[in-house]
Amino acid sequence: MTAASRQMKLGAFLWATGHHIAAWRHPQAHVTAGIDIDHYIQLARTAEAAKFDLLFCEDAAGLREADVGIASQTSRSIGFEPISLLSALAVQTSRIGLVSTASTSYNEPYGLARTFLSLDHLSGGRAGWNLVTSASQIEAANFGSTGLRPHADRYERAREFAEVVTGLWHGKLDGTSGSGHDGQSFSVRGPLDLPRSPQGAPVMVQAGASDVGRDLAARTADVVFTAAQTFEEAKAFYDDLKGRLAAYGRERDDIKIMPGVAPVVAETEAEAREKYEELQELIPDDVGVALLSSYLSIADLWRYPIDGPLPELPATEGMQSRQALVIEQSRRDNLSIRQLARHFAGARGHWRIVGTAAQVADELQARFEGGAADGFNVMPSYFPGELDAFATLVVPELQRRGLFRKDYEGHTLREHLGLRRPA
Amino acid sequence: MDNGATMHLAVSLCPGTTDASRGAEPEFDRLARFAQKAEAAGLDMVLLADAAPASGGDAANRQVPFEATTLLAALATVTSRIGLVAMASTVAHQPYNLARRFASLDIISHGRAGWHATMAQAPREAANFSRPGGFSRDDFRRRTEEYIGIVQGLWTGWDADALLFDKGGGRFHDPDRMHLLDHKGEFFSVRGPLNVARSPQDRPVLVLSGLSVSDMDIAARTADVILLEERPAEETKASRDDLKRRVAARGRDPDAVKVLMDVLPVTGGEPAGLADKLEEQFRSTSCDGFNILMPAELSAIDDFVDLVLPELRRRDLFRQGYRGATLRSHLGLGGGGDQ
Repeated sequence: MTAASRQMKLGAFLWATGHHIAAWRHPQAHVTAGIDIDHYIQLARTAEAAKFDLLFCEDAAGLREADVGIASQTSRSIGFEPISLLSALAVQTSRIGLVSTASTSYNEPYGLARTFLSLDHLSGGRAGWNLVTSASQIEAANFGSTGLRPHADRYERAREFAEVVTGLWHGKLDGTSGSGHDGQSFSVRGPLDLPRSPQGAPVMVQAGASDVGRDLAARTADVVFTAAQTFEEAKAFYDDLKGRLAAYGRERDDIKIMPGVAPVVAETEAEAREKYEELQELIPDDVGVALLSSYLSIADLWRYPIDGPLPELPATEGMQSRQALVIEQSRRDNLSIRQLARHFAGARGHWRIVGTAAQVADELQARFEGGAADGFNVMPSYFPGELDAFATLVVPELQRRGLFRKDYEGHTLREHLGLRRPA
Repeated sequence: MDNGATMHLAVSLCPGTTDASRGAEPEFDRLARFAQKAEAAGLDMVLLADAAPASGGDAANRQVPFEATTLLAALATVTSRIGLVAMASTVAHQPYNLARRFASLDIISHGRAGWHATMAQAPREAANFSRPGGFSRDDFRRRTEEYIGIVQGLWTGWDADALLFDKGGGRFHDPDRMHLLDHKGEFFSVRGPLNVARSPQDRPVLVLSGLSVSDMDIAARTADVILLEERPAEETKASRDDLKRRVAARGRDPDAVKVLMDVLPVTGGEPAGLADKLEEQFRSTSCDGFNILMPAELSAIDDFVDLVLPELRRRDLFRQGYRGATLRSHLGLGGGGDQ
């Protein structure tokens, strides 16, 4: 396959002051990001000028940390609600895709379908929905739930939710007699009171990597975000998911798999290392351990000696796939809780590359050409500096190698991603 | 200073209207020009309608292809002074999600956002939200009252000085200045706090409409703006007086709630005629102003702004321009913003 025939897709993953847990403390980080819309407009324009496929906003309907003391040492307790944020960005940009997370546990499909379709119209066909089932007790407490639903139930509700949403987008629930949806979790008469999407339907994104999550993705997703530390993990996930598509009558190219990557890039490798160490030094131990605890879905990790190994953990109703990834890494690299917490806090279990533009491009190229990724969801350590660094250093290197577009091929997100327009 | 001598003016973009002159111009650009025209004229706010009907019949008549809160966010980036108020249904959104959305809109608009809630159930809406039977009138009232209390409580969960941004000390915010809501009620339980900062107006403006007699106390306790449907002057006057009495009985300043009357301008009528009508209604009902139900045609706003407004200003019935930057300040309301 020639470089020109297949190019990687790139997402700019916007989150708080940056993806590094201590990003907000960095001297160059924009600490008031969560209340400054102009900052986000600037980030969107930077990413669009660099020809990124999409902007991606993660979301949770509640605080990130159960412990208010821990929460107060991070910048993640406040920020823009992503639908309103992306709606504002939609009319301040003209080409870049706009993808937001929204939960199937705390929304109703009719309202969600309508909101994302509206974002799609505001942007001229550039919207996408990242489906999550929500795994946190903190969110559940904001929605009258007495407890988190079991993993399998959440995914069954999500499957039905996605079916209703796409049914509305595709005009199947048209309000005529007998066309309504009457299911286990939802009853929806339809139709939507908005015109059809400029790109056929907004793009469907998913990130759940458990077995049931993969099946749901194979059935409904256009794009899959994932976390993979090593080439082998990434390749195994890629092959597994692409292999599930045939069962749903879909082709391998119908899903774009974009693992997260957390690069720290500079003109020289030494500068990049220095930049990374500077960030790591800013992580308080209690914050690192708390973050690790929440990803492992256990509350009392702080009880264990911080310089000792990770204890044996029971299976949880939380994020099963992410938990397995962290545990595997701790055993493989023989890391203490402190080491794992610091390492993990930096990139939240995603793939970290520290180096020059050529080194970062080498790594991305290897996974892309090795059949482990269709593209990457780029997670800058802090904003705006690290997005600027990726845009000005890595993107030109990828373009020079023919691995990334020099200009947008089309106008809609589906066109950028090379996805078929739904009938 | 708002001394009651001048009126407040809102314009509503109505769904279901059609615009034959609509050409190739993108729909958003047209709506943006509408809002900009209203802003250039110094109007208090634009009300963005929203509807999610369940039947195919209504859908065909819809004109605006945007859900109102998303449209508000977009319009906020192309305007700088005018208030922007979106209708959002208490059936379509969970209170936590709605509170987040509007707090975020208030930050995006630098303190110009408002939430328009209605006490009237939209016919057939519930059929799209897994509630085929809808709510009884009484349940809907109690549920809406509880809902509004949650949203307004969430909006003030963070103290105005809660964010420290102290990089060196590692203190992003002060945990003692962040408060849980811990609401447990008949219809909802919501722990809080919101994960959006306190917004520039402290609380986005709450506009209430669709009031029946039994809703008056809820409105008197919670609303910043109350919209009354157009009725004979003496009925409007009675409702207005009743509302202001109830507001005072709640220990609020009667001037802290603005009562606006819906007005449907007769197209093709003499500008002086509409100005006369507004002046007459303003004086006879003692209302605080009007909500002009405007077809979303640029010609309609042009006529109002270019012909009717100068007449109102000539009679000293409408202020010359904006004095503050927030919607609360345009409306002469307390709390938040640049009073």
